[in-house]
Amino acid sequence: MLGIADYFWRLIPGNPILRRVVEAGGKKKRDLFVRCGYLGLLVILVIWQVAVQTTTSDIAALSKASVSLFQNMSYLQLGLVALLSPIFTAGAITQEKDSQTYDILLSTPLTNGQIVLGSLLSRVFFVVALLISGIPIFSVTQIFGGVAIRSIIYSFLIAASTALVTGAMAMSIATFKVGTRRTIFSFYLFIVIYLVGGFFLDRMDFTHISYTDASGTATMTQTSWLTPLNPFLALQAIFHDKSYTPPLPGDLPSQYQAWPIDWMWTSPATFYFSLMFFLSIAMILPSIVLLRTMAQSSTTIQNWVLEKLHVSKGDRTRKPRVVWHNPIAWREARTKASAARASILRYGFILLGIIGAVILLVMHSTEITPAHFINASSYDPTQNSLFIDGDTQESVHLGSNLSIKYGDVDEPQTFITNPDGKYEVKDYTKDAQRQLATITLADYPRELSSADAQTWLLGLTIVEFSVILLIISNAAASTVTREKEDGTLDLLLSTPITSRYYIWGKLRGLVSFVLPLVAVPVISCFLFIAHDLFRWLARGENNFPWIVFPEALILIPAMVIIVSSFAAILGMQMSLRCRTTVRAVMSTVGIVVGACAALGWCGYGILNQTGSVNGEIGVAIGVFSPFTLLAILIDPTNYAAQAFNIGMYPNSADPTGARWVAFFLCLIALGAYSMGIWSMYRSMVKNFDMTIRKQSR
Amino acid sequence: MAAVIKTVNLTKRYGTLVALSNLNLEINEGDCFGFIGPNGAGKTTTIKILATLLQPTWGEARVCDYVVGYQSRSIRPLIGFVPDYFGAYEDMCVQEYLEFFAAAYNINGAQRTKIVNDVLELTDLGYKKDSLVDGLSRGMKQRLSIARVLVHDPKVLLLDEPAGNLDPRARIEMRELLKELRRMGKTIVISSHILPELADLCNTVGIIEQGELLYSGPVADIVRRARAGTILHVGVARGPEQAGALLAQHPSVESVTANNGFLQVALRNGVTDYGFIAQQLISNGFQLNLLREEEVNLETAFMRLTKGMVQ
Repeated sequence: MLGIADYFWRLIPGNPILRRVVEAGGKKKRDLFVRCGYLGLLVILVIWQVAVQTTTSDIAALSKASVSLFQNMSYLQLGLVALLSPIFTAGAITQEKDSQTYDILLSTPLTNGQIVLGSLLSRVFFVVALLISGIPIFSVTQIFGGVAIRSIIYSFLIAASTALVTGAMAMSIATFKVGTRRTIFSFYLFIVIYLVGGFFLDRMDFTHISYTDASGTATMTQTSWLTPLNPFLALQAIFHDKSYTPPLPGDLPSQYQAWPIDWMWTSPATFYFSLMFFLSIAMILPSIVLLRTMAQSSTTIQNWVLEKLHVSKGDRTRKPRVVWHNPIAWREARTKASAARASILRYGFILLGIIGAVILLVMHSTEITPAHFINASSYDPTQNSLFIDGDTQESVHLGSNLSIKYGDVDEPQTFITNPDGKYEVKDYTKDAQRQLATITLADYPRELSSADAQTWLLGLTIVEFSVILLIISNAAASTVTREKEDGTLDLLLSTPITSRYYIWGKLRGLVSFVLPLVAVPVISCFLFIAHDLFRWLARGENNFPWIVFPEALILIPAMVIIVSSFAAILGMQMSLRCRTTVRAVMSTVGIVVGACAALGWCGYGILNQTGSVNGEIGVAIGVFSPFTLLAILIDPTNYAAQAFNIGMYPNSADPTGARWVAFFLCLIALGAYSMGIWSMYRSMVKNFDMTIRKQSR
Repeated sequence: MAAVIKTVNLTKRYGTLVALSNLNLEINEGDCFGFIGPNGAGKTTTIKILATLLQPTWGEARVCDYVVGYQSRSIRPLIGFVPDYFGAYEDMCVQEYLEFFAAAYNINGAQRTKIVNDVLELTDLGYKKDSLVDGLSRGMKQRLSIARVLVHDPKVLLLDEPAGNLDPRARIEMRELLKELRRMGKTIVISSHILPELADLCNTVGIIEQGELLYSGPVADIVRRARAGTILHVGVARGPEQAGALLAQHPSVESVTANNGFLQVALRNGVTDYGFIAQQLISNGFQLNLLREEEVNLETAFMRLTKGMVQ
């Protein structure tokens, strides 16, 4: 009995690995700064919302403000946990191997369970400690009421389970040797794509199900299949937001009423954290069982797979390539890109991106023949009659009191007398005397409507752009630190290469490295622009409803390249300052993700601001954020409705002015980014020797 | 002969730790200078300063009359630095590695290809030119390091522990390669712990301890300096104690100590002829079976001059 107690004592509370990390971690300045920063942000949010935004003393209003405060704090808490968890847990992938203590640990009498749980909990400990330190701040929401204790507990459980599953994933990667230092980036990328992608997919209709509510009305669920799988969506579901409420158990269609599907739909938050705890255990158990077995194997799973796929032969020779005049740029652009894993990722990215765009275009250009339709030859002016094709196939006489509409717009017979396309006849009804009252015309429906095509294309380009940014941030952040770690930096510094030449070479090489990737969103947009160009030439409308504005072909590549260069120079700065690759990568990716999220959030807010700011000003400011620019160029009706009230109809507001504003202000934004890059480059060149010298002490 | 490397009161501090203290060194053109000292003595710091990778805290270091720090850019094309580790780039083969560094020295086009091929031939690495660098053995990597510093034909080679952790064959091959470079007229500064090899390779040595230069000059001089007086090892068939007592009475003998049945006889300073030892022992009926002068080499000189103190 005592032996079992001793075993469990040594497994967690007395675990030497956990104790070492916890005791050392608590004293680190970096941890102190992170903790202060985290709590500081929460405090700022509370002060801003309670002291600045809440001006009333009405109890009900205060209670409402308290609910809003709780929601914002929960989002901020989860956002910070999602940002920090990979940073703190990813170190598990390499830290033991980097410090060469892994083999020593394995040769001690410590059990697999002690090693795995010690490493996992020591990583997660910091994030959990952060969460606990935030409890007093959350308690502020209880002063005014309105927030259920259960909601607070759920909010914390969602954040804690997210941290735990992140740590478990990192531990599994380390144990099963499916990762090296490079994997940290893929790990981060996966988490970002999962969080952002889940959010986007939740906006798509196909992720929702239709059901009949209590009043007998057929409706779509507000939550989706993604809600119980994504922490942000699960969190949103606990806020009792009227626009995002899970369906009631009785509302679900019968096929979804079986466990655990009904649990998923009706209580996504509890499902999420239960699933994450279960997944963590499922990932950790094999690690515990196989830790030493995996450590004894001589190859990694990744190399084994690459050899089986004939991507890597496992041999150690290769035909030499031509080295450029600037060897630093060559090294960044060529040797990193040619590594087997990098090649798979690059070609996979290019292939998937272009296939995605082609599928969207094909779906968008595929017309669905409607039940009733007219075309150029349908109108007979001599008889003043219209031949309605399709299921009915009959000529109808157009009476004088006939109302003809195009969409919501009353139109004379323009569309019938001078048709330049094919139109679906909707609401085609006849009364008992066979007299037509109204014909509503519409463009032929497509497999993917224009609005959906814009939403999907925007989502695709945003994901592609995010991936490009993450790839270049990772490559840049590891570029100098890796040379410091493997000792090649000293070799280079003893050659006549100057700091200017070195940094310029790095920047040039990094940008060359991502150029093929930049082509993917550009080609995606080009496909739609080319498609629309033919339609535009055929229709000759001044106010053509472009899926993507043609100026995107200049603005998108310019913005993506310049913002990527910005991320590259930022990554290089961190790489120069940090001593280890892991720290540099984590810091850079954290800054880039944080900056993009902030810019995107602000840009989106500005674009949609109503009242004092008119549409063009919103656009003018919004183009400074790369993500908002993409939204303006690809999906303006959704994201910049005030300025681009173009609709799909000819008499809507003319968006030309807003397009010119976007174009010129975007050029100014590009100039501003370029200035930023230039000044950072100058500062790096100036401080390079000093920074390196400081680190060599 | 002109001094290619010269340091005057070269001092380097890391916080409160004095890594180098007033180092005065002069190495002439074509010299092969062996830099020896215990771990942490300041050898790597000196070499790194000469390689323009560190700035001295005080004093001056000159390479080919250019001052380190102020004229580092002029120094870099003239030196080739091999650190005590191998800087391997991932996913680069041997030829690319050499071409990469040739390009770093602004050697391009057909000239680069020719030089790289020549260097591969000189270092006997031609058959490995397609091999990935990070998959090479330690000996091959070290050989490649030497090849790397030869692509721009530097006047001075700064080698920090080039033979460290190499197997005997690789060490011998490395030594032969360095001898060849010396014959080519390169000035070589080499730090190593393998003293017999340094004695074989170098014409001058410097002994450093705790950042201070204890000795700098020709190998023969240091051996002479370490030799405090002649020491003889003497063996007799029977009665070593009596034989020791007999020899101790001789005016040319400083001291006699017994060691494992043998006698260690130290002669007084200036006494070089030790024929009297055999003569006296035989005439007194002892059967002499060993009479050998103790050899003083670089290793013994190093042990006598240093105290084994590290920082």
